[in-house]
Amino acid sequence: MPAERAGFTVTMFLVDVSPSMGKIREVEVPDGANGESMTVEMTNLEYALQFVKLKVQEMIYHGRKTEQCGLILFGTDDTDNTVNEKNGGYEHVSEYIPILQPDVRTLAKISGIEPSETTGDAIDALIVGIETQQEYLERKPSWTRKIVLITDGESPIEIEDWEATVSKMNALKISLTVVGVDFDDDELPFHEQGKSDIKRTNESFYHTFTSKLERGVVGNAEFALQELARPEIKQVKSQPSVFVLRVGDVESRAEEAIEIYVKTYKYTAKASLPSIKRFARRVKGDDEDESRMQLDDDEDKVIWTQLARRTEYFIDRGDGEEDSEGDAEDERKGDALEKVEKEELVRGFKYGASYVPCPDDTFPKLPTLKGIEICGFFKAKHFKRWQEMGEVYYVFGDTDKAMQQVALSSLVKAMAKSEEKFAIARWVKKDGGEPKVGVMWPMTIEGQMDYLMWVQMPFADDIRNFPFGSLDKLVSKTNNTVTSHPYLPTKEQESAMDRFVDEMDLMNAGEKNEEGEREPWFDVRLSYNPALHRMKQALLHAAVVDDISKNPLPPPHPELTKYFDPPLRVLKRARDAIEECKDLFKVREVPAKVTRARKDGHVRARDEDEDMLLLDKTAKRPPTSSQMPTTQRAFASQHAGPSPKAKRKPEARSGDDSSATESETEPESDAEDLLVNKGKGAHLPTPTRSPEPDRGRASGRIIGNTYPLDDFRQNIARGDVVTKAVEDLGDIIKEVVAKPFASRRTEEMLQCMRVLRKVALEEDEIDAWNAFLRQLHEVCLESKPGNKEFWTHVQGEGRTISLISKSEASKFGGTSDVTDAYAAEFIHQQ
Amino acid sequence: MSSYDDWNKLDDDEDVELEDAGYLEGNKDVILFCIDCSPSMQELYDDERYEDVQTCRLFTALEAAMQIQKKKVIVGPNDSVGIMLFNTTRRNEATAGQGAEIKKGTYVYQPIATIDAPKVQELMRLLDAVRDKPKLLSQEFPPLTESRVPMGDVFTSCNWVMRDGASKTAVKRVFLITDEDDPHPGPTHDRLAKSAKTTLEDLLQAGVTVEPFFISSEDKSFDPSKFYSFVLSPTNVIEDAESGGAVLPESISIARVEDLLSQMRFHEVPKRAFFSTRLQLAEGFVIGVKGYTPVTERKKGKHEYFYDLGDRMVVAKSRSIMVDDMSHAYADKSEILSGMTLGKASMDEEKEDAEQAVGVARVTQANMRPFYTQDEINSFRTMGLEPMIKLLGFKDISELAYEDNVKHSTFIYPDEMTYSGSKRTFTALLRTMVRKKKIGIALGLARRNSTPTFYAMLPQLPKTDESGWDDPPGIHLIPLPFADDIRAARVERAYQANSELEKMARAWIDKITVRQGGYPPDTYPNPSLAYHNAQLEAAAFREEFDAESFEDLSKPKYDMIHKRAGQLMRAWKEALLVDETANTVTETAGTKRKADVTVNEAEIRSMNDYGTLAKLRVDQLKDGCQVRVFLDAQLGNPRCSQALRNAHEFCKSKSLPSSGKKADLMERVGEWLEAHP
Repeated sequence: MPAERAGFTVTMFLVDVSPSMGKIREVEVPDGANGESMTVEMTNLEYALQFVKLKVQEMIYHGRKTEQCGLILFGTDDTDNTVNEKNGGYEHVSEYIPILQPDVRTLAKISGIEPSETTGDAIDALIVGIETQQEYLERKPSWTRKIVLITDGESPIEIEDWEATVSKMNALKISLTVVGVDFDDDELPFHEQGKSDIKRTNESFYHTFTSKLERGVVGNAEFALQELARPEIKQVKSQPSVFVLRVGDVESRAEEAIEIYVKTYKYTAKASLPSIKRFARRVKGDDEDESRMQLDDDEDKVIWTQLARRTEYFIDRGDGEEDSEGDAEDERKGDALEKVEKEELVRGFKYGASYVPCPDDTFPKLPTLKGIEICGFFKAKHFKRWQEMGEVYYVFGDTDKAMQQVALSSLVKAMAKSEEKFAIARWVKKDGGEPKVGVMWPMTIEGQMDYLMWVQMPFADDIRNFPFGSLDKLVSKTNNTVTSHPYLPTKEQESAMDRFVDEMDLMNAGEKNEEGEREPWFDVRLSYNPALHRMKQALLHAAVVDDISKNPLPPPHPELTKYFDPPLRVLKRARDAIEECKDLFKVREVPAKVTRARKDGHVRARDEDEDMLLLDKTAKRPPTSSQMPTTQRAFASQHAGPSPKAKRKPEARSGDDSSATESETEPESDAEDLLVNKGKGAHLPTPTRSPEPDRGRASGRIIGNTYPLDDFRQNIARGDVVTKAVEDLGDIIKEVVAKPFASRRTEEMLQCMRVLRKVALEEDEIDAWNAFLRQLHEVCLESKPGNKEFWTHVQGEGRTISLISKSEASKFGGTSDVTDAYAAEFIHQQ
Repeated sequence: MSSYDDWNKLDDDEDVELEDAGYLEGNKDVILFCIDCSPSMQELYDDERYEDVQTCRLFTALEAAMQIQKKKVIVGPNDSVGIMLFNTTRRNEATAGQGAEIKKGTYVYQPIATIDAPKVQELMRLLDAVRDKPKLLSQEFPPLTESRVPMGDVFTSCNWVMRDGASKTAVKRVFLITDEDDPHPGPTHDRLAKSAKTTLEDLLQAGVTVEPFFISSEDKSFDPSKFYSFVLSPTNVIEDAESGGAVLPESISIARVEDLLSQMRFHEVPKRAFFSTRLQLAEGFVIGVKGYTPVTERKKGKHEYFYDLGDRMVVAKSRSIMVDDMSHAYADKSEILSGMTLGKASMDEEKEDAEQAVGVARVTQANMRPFYTQDEINSFRTMGLEPMIKLLGFKDISELAYEDNVKHSTFIYPDEMTYSGSKRTFTALLRTMVRKKKIGIALGLARRNSTPTFYAMLPQLPKTDESGWDDPPGIHLIPLPFADDIRAARVERAYQANSELEKMARAWIDKITVRQGGYPPDTYPNPSLAYHNAQLEAAAFREEFDAESFEDLSKPKYDMIHKRAGQLMRAWKEALLVDETANTVTETAGTKRKADVTVNEAEIRSMNDYGTLAKLRVDQLKDGCQVRVFLDAQLGNPRCSQALRNAHEFCKSKSLPSSGKKADLMERVGEWLEAHP
């Protein structure tokens, strides 16, 4: 299908509001939270109007001035239309929304449509629609005309002379879509039980009618709604840019230098996700204006307003010198920040601790000359595909000039010849623009055309040479190459992998082509961006329904998830190979280390006599002095039994995401170590020895049960695991107080809490503290066995141990959702 | 901002995916240069680069430290640096904060602090002074001549300096620079080595890593096995569990003193994973991997807003809030919901509208919620997937088209620490893929805030290429474009060259083809970034920026091109001008104009002389101008000036409104003719 011109369209919606449209139907909505199937009741009219709303919403989404629509009702009690005004007749047809670019109020108006007391004639409405559209487009003959007729087909139609209407519509190139409520559809499949005669007649009439149209279709409303969820690519036409492709010095050696005029177009351009706006309930003030009170007569209405983003600036007058050291700054956050106006500020850059004013946004720019310059060529086989950095461009010879085309073609053909070559090309998009360096490779279509494609490549600044160890050369301490080691695959493992790769091959796993041969599975050109289309679907849905909770978003269209799993036939074929691999490779999830590996490095000295691999320390290290307490701790926690509280932050590692090593909530610093610590689960890496039996220990903790406070202080001193330490200590306190004989440790635990609260306050772990304290309250008072006595002790500490309130938090630059009053009250709760 | 930056500009209102650069640059990085001052480090020798200038290793080390400071300050303005020297008799003042009590024989030259201009300049001044008077260095930092400071003391001092100066959350590293591979020969060796090892462990426990830079020379190659492999290896290896089988930790660098700076450059950015996640090869067959970004576009530093307090400037912190435009009320973060735009209400419409008091708003029943919560939005964005890379199958490597690209790739390496057996599985997979010439196709959600993306998994075996680039073993994840990201070609046919022209083009192409290797990123530092940074530095140093001395290294090497291929290029051009196809008159709307264009220079000139230029049609003028320039360029007419090329660009543009511009064109052509009699 040739790309339609985007926009420049008027769509007329003709909506049947005859009494029959008020019939109630049950509509299935996605399963509720607990998997129960849910339905909602709505009238046929409301149901069918969803289609109109989605269509209108899409127009709002595109935001094009030239995408307009109008809405005409038929079956209205009165009459208000342009044909009736001129010629009379055409009764019970009313223009409801004049042709305009729709916005949210259009949607609100559509929501207000209700069934009437009278029946109306669809053909009358069609003629009114054609006329209204024609009047509007009188001077815009190139616009696309669409008419959508929404009906249940239950009202009589005067079908005389319909051929004239057909020829008129064909003459005007109008496309007609009839969306029929409960129309029969073999493909869906759907056949209405007990269909009325009149509806049957009407349905067949619509089929005849549209078949005579050049652009006509009848569809079942349900099917139409489904189809609207199908991902549709927003066609964007690439805009050409004109450049000169230069080789050599055109300034001073023009007799030799080459200039070729080229046009560039984007080949890939990352489509951005639909933009989200923020909304909030408008708070009703005391001076709620009268007009609105009249507007929504009942109190139960809520006004949602679109929010705007505003940036505010704050400064810290502090006292001492400017000190951007993190700690110093955090501690001083107590000195309340002062709000300043943007106008008072000077723009500039930081040069370390120094300040460089630069009010004009940027320094003078590097003088450059627009154009693409070839710096040299290299052999294609040396190209590193992974270094490509961005979107890809077509480079065509100037489309108007044969000479330019031939010039570029000779260059391309020469590059593509036997030993293919790529060009290194520096591209400046406008005079004074920033140069980018990229490569161009030749593309030739035999007997048709030759062109280049350009992609940006990294500058020296963009490359990071991270060092990585070899994966297959292992050298022992005695400088011998090791050939067999848990890090190295065995012959057996390699051949299992060999089979796995063969069986998982996708080259002939796709659809069959015309010759009956299977094509490769997965085609970039058919892979829709699931996030983009899902978001779009969600946003459109929200615009159409009034309550997301009652009417949640239907599941994504299957097109979006078709590439989410390997094709079934491949999985079936590979089943044995997969099982073999699982058996042979024996990959196991590793429990998080209790202490950081680097801490117990010194144990190395002990097993020096072993001919051990340097890199393999962690794998073979026996329990070490610093790990010893862990075992004891583990013992202790075994006694505690599986505590439900041991599972922390379920949202972060719920379900099968046991190794989710995301650290968004953590400060990014020292990410690797945090990641390692955060995992949980089974065992030491590479089980070359028999597994250790201490499964019951609280895995993943950096703080043990035995000397929690010492552990905590040590970890806090380290600085980079504060969040984890705070979380762990809180869990330990909860565990300890829930255990028998907890009273022996009451004072210790109280001390822990004092320290924990202080750290939480200072290190901005306020939410963690507040959550902890609430849980502790629950553990002590509401769960079994509980520890009422401990809570009494906590209460004895008074307000200073309670929830951290807003005002307290703000002194340390943090935030809290707890009011002072509540914090004071909480600690006295029973 | 340049147009390039606008290309990728994201909607301001969007939940922008974490910028890749952010994770590397958002962190604070602390480097303590720990430099040996022993007599051998201070021994003077002739500088390779300058005549009659003497230098020493200490000088080079300090210079490298200065260069790294200059570089770091631009990349991470919050990074801190300090310089500590050892094996010197110079002592810190007892009262002087950091380093006041450090071990004898060690000296804090620059305490750890955020890099700032005066400090860099201080070091530069010292270096300048030393360059004039090389002896100055040994006066400034008198070497310990009879003995060496125990390395244990050096590490202890480092520890204290770090403790005093570095913030808790920073990534802390010591760059140890020495040329002595056996600092403690003789009977004390074992004892001192052991104590060095212990103190180094303390350092590591404090979260500080040591990255040694050992200086090796022709006379004396540095043998780490004498002392350092015992001291460094076990701990460092454990510290970085990913290091491979090399005897020494990979972070050790042994190089000639001249290469010190480039070695340090490699370590300038601490190696940090971009993500750590699972790679699912099949259901129940999962290994751990870490992802890195070896290629990320480095951009100019962000500008900030400063407030003048009178005596000093402070940075203003910005906070972005959501407000109700009508009531100007702040919205409570927890109450904010998301949805799509309600469209813009135009002002005059609004006046007539009864809903004017509402503004752009939506009204529902009180118990209804027409918008999504942030959690719901996230679940739509991620399609409910958890972070993971899921293999879908394998394809021939030829299926990976060059043009299927939208952004830079990431690099994954097995992570034995999350799944044991990851390395052997990964290695087997890697080898098999390379042997069978396969790529993997995978679906991935690299991080929790990403959106699902399809990747091509491109295997890479270790290889050192001619440019000395080390390709590490691993798999590149190349994000594939979606159907939504691909645009169709707008040009479907074009004239093609014959084999004669092709051969002639090949002749000059061959001459300017590099013999070895592929695209060399190291050759092309980003010129606009360097230009910006040079100005930033000059401003910070309160110096004049010398634009003249700036060299754009990304420009083609014209001399080389012309020397090697000039004649061949000229020959190709001459052949092109007389080529039959090239002179085809295109069958487009412009055909007639094309034909008319054969007004040659002489005709135009005479028309100009007689003042009849106005008789030409606009398009003739345009094309006349254009053809002249093109012919000039092609025939090598040196008179083809810049001004005319501009004129040409102007003429060429088809968006040019043809009315009213004729005078301009006439003027332009006239000017040109006058300028070129």
